[in-house]
Amino acid sequence: MRILIVEDDTETGRFIAKGFTELGHQVVLSADGRDGLYQATDGGFCALIVDRMLPGLDGLSLVRALRAAGDMTPVLMLTAIGGLSDRVEGIEGGADDYLVKPFAFSELAARVQALGRRQTVAVEPATLVVSDITLDLHRRTVARAGRRVTLQPREFALLAELMRNPARIMTRTMLLERVWDFDFDPKTNIVETHLSRLRTKLNAGFDDDAIETVRGAGYMIRGG
Amino acid sequence: MPVGFKRWWRTTFGLVAIVALGFALATLAIGVVAFETTHEALEQQLDHRIATETQALIDEGDDGPAGVADAIRRRETARGAGSLDYRLVAPDGATVAGQLDAEVPTQAGFVELLPYVHTGERRIAQSLTTILPGGHRLLVAADRGVIDDMDATLLRLFAGAFGAMLVLGIGAAWIVGLVTRHRLAQIDRTALAIIDGDLSQRMPVSGTGDEFDRVSATLNRMLDRIGTLMDNLRQVSSDVAHDLRTPLTRLHNRLEEALATQERERQHTAITAAADQSRELLDIFAALLRIAEVEGQAAQSHFQRLDLSALVENIVETYRPDMEASDHLLTATIEPGLTIDGDRRLLQQLVANLFDNVLTHTLAGTNVSVDLARSPRGARLCLSDDGPDASADESDHLFRRFSRGEASRSRPGHGLGLALVRAIADAHRGRATIDRTSGFAVMIDLEVANQAVETNV
Repeated sequence: MRILIVEDDTETGRFIAKGFTELGHQVVLSADGRDGLYQATDGGFCALIVDRMLPGLDGLSLVRALRAAGDMTPVLMLTAIGGLSDRVEGIEGGADDYLVKPFAFSELAARVQALGRRQTVAVEPATLVVSDITLDLHRRTVARAGRRVTLQPREFALLAELMRNPARIMTRTMLLERVWDFDFDPKTNIVETHLSRLRTKLNAGFDDDAIETVRGAGYMIRGG
Repeated sequence: MPVGFKRWWRTTFGLVAIVALGFALATLAIGVVAFETTHEALEQQLDHRIATETQALIDEGDDGPAGVADAIRRRETARGAGSLDYRLVAPDGATVAGQLDAEVPTQAGFVELLPYVHTGERRIAQSLTTILPGGHRLLVAADRGVIDDMDATLLRLFAGAFGAMLVLGIGAAWIVGLVTRHRLAQIDRTALAIIDGDLSQRMPVSGTGDEFDRVSATLNRMLDRIGTLMDNLRQVSSDVAHDLRTPLTRLHNRLEEALATQERERQHTAITAAADQSRELLDIFAALLRIAEVEGQAAQSHFQRLDLSALVENIVETYRPDMEASDHLLTATIEPGLTIDGDRRLLQQLVANLFDNVLTHTLAGTNVSVDLARSPRGARLCLSDDGPDASADESDHLFRRFSRGEASRSRPGHGLGLALVRAIADAHRGRATIDRTSGFAVMIDLEVANQAVETNV
């Protein structure tokens, strides 16, 4: 994956670039908004990571300019803590995802991976199938290897989100945002509790675990 | 307009003086009009009298100038004060009758200012010259003394009124200016004392309830508010410093530990612990910034109509597994269809914070109940538990940043959850209160919207 990072803080920029390079991606680093836009329009990137505050041209204007020019390359925007309206503005401005600094690199990596994938899904199918699990979004039914599994609405939404991103790590924060629409981190383990219940129901009668826990990163459903 | 004058008329004295001058000028204008009108009316009256008399003379002497001359003589014999004067001259200018000592104009008609001599004194008369058939000229005149007397009286009257108005006006301006300046000087002195750092000073209130008192009362309310904010700020700053010292010290200790050891295993453990500590510090900052932001009321720009009942129901269902896992007995009574104008994410966080609090601060077996119902003020959300009251603090104190019940000091948390709850409730023009009549209950009162949400949420 070719990734463009537009970040004026050299320390953060280097930290992100190093991480993605280690994961085997090609990384271009830009420290200025105008230069970043120029590089982005030059094309050939699978994803952009753009800081909100940039010299020359701020991140939001950069994304707006890009979208106005018809460039739909997925964009993840970074912002400093405390921006209550930043998220809404960022998404409305055309960013695909939003991450608040400081973040763990694993969180950023998982989100960028998901961005690359999201773009290819145009219309969501009515049925999601990952290995031996089938989930019908319309009838809201789930079956594993043909055996019916009854889930609570939250558990169903959680499984659907994992199955939309097969073989990709979904972090705790991503699940909180997408399943619960929370933009804050509750002190209690609601994600863990729901996952453990989902797991128990899915795995009943099976030897292998349907959902994999990636230590220090998140959760993943294998296959696809 | 020179700057000096512009500044001068804006003072109280200037303003009142200008109003007084206006009144005086109005008096003057009324005087001029009254004078002119009276003067004209008197002249017309005099003209009318002269014309009537002239006609009477001509009528009496219907047999010609001799008859008119007779009539004149009769009148002059019966002459009294204020009588008219007459003179009849022949076409050649010789006097036929009448004692009026004045030049008879050759033209017929009125002459307003006719000089004449009366008992050796030069006077002015109003006169009418009539040319009789045959060329005789009849001059009838009335002395203008009566008009002049009236003019003089009127002039004196209005000049006096104008002067009195000026004196009264300037006097009033001076007194009003003095009183205003005195009251403002008191406010000014107080303000200067406050600038110098004495925030306990308050504006003087005389108790009469006048404009100055009202302004002073408003300023005092503002000063009270500033005082509270200053106290809050002072408290928060010292709390921040105090509460950050512990995690910072731990972070420092961990890093020192990592530097001191040569063992990779122990180094790794120490650095991991240091990273955890720094993450905790960042969490505290994020929470503080969030509270500051919500208090800054930037939230209201994102308000939209939403289904509060559904929102609370969702959070209840989200937390139910955790509640069950920790052996809490959760009962929820939620009145459906309550709508509100608000920020969905903030309200979610408010309710979630309350649940987090219960889970962190109560023991297994505690009964927890969630109630959402219509109330006289709008909607009331009440989350209560029957666990032992963990804090001896004042109820209201628990909503302050970094305030934690004494018994919960050993548990995780930084005392920011309830501060955020109150900030979010305030941002929604609501109220957060604590009730301890039985167990521990947090109540959130919110204003409800009248219309339901259009789209299902």
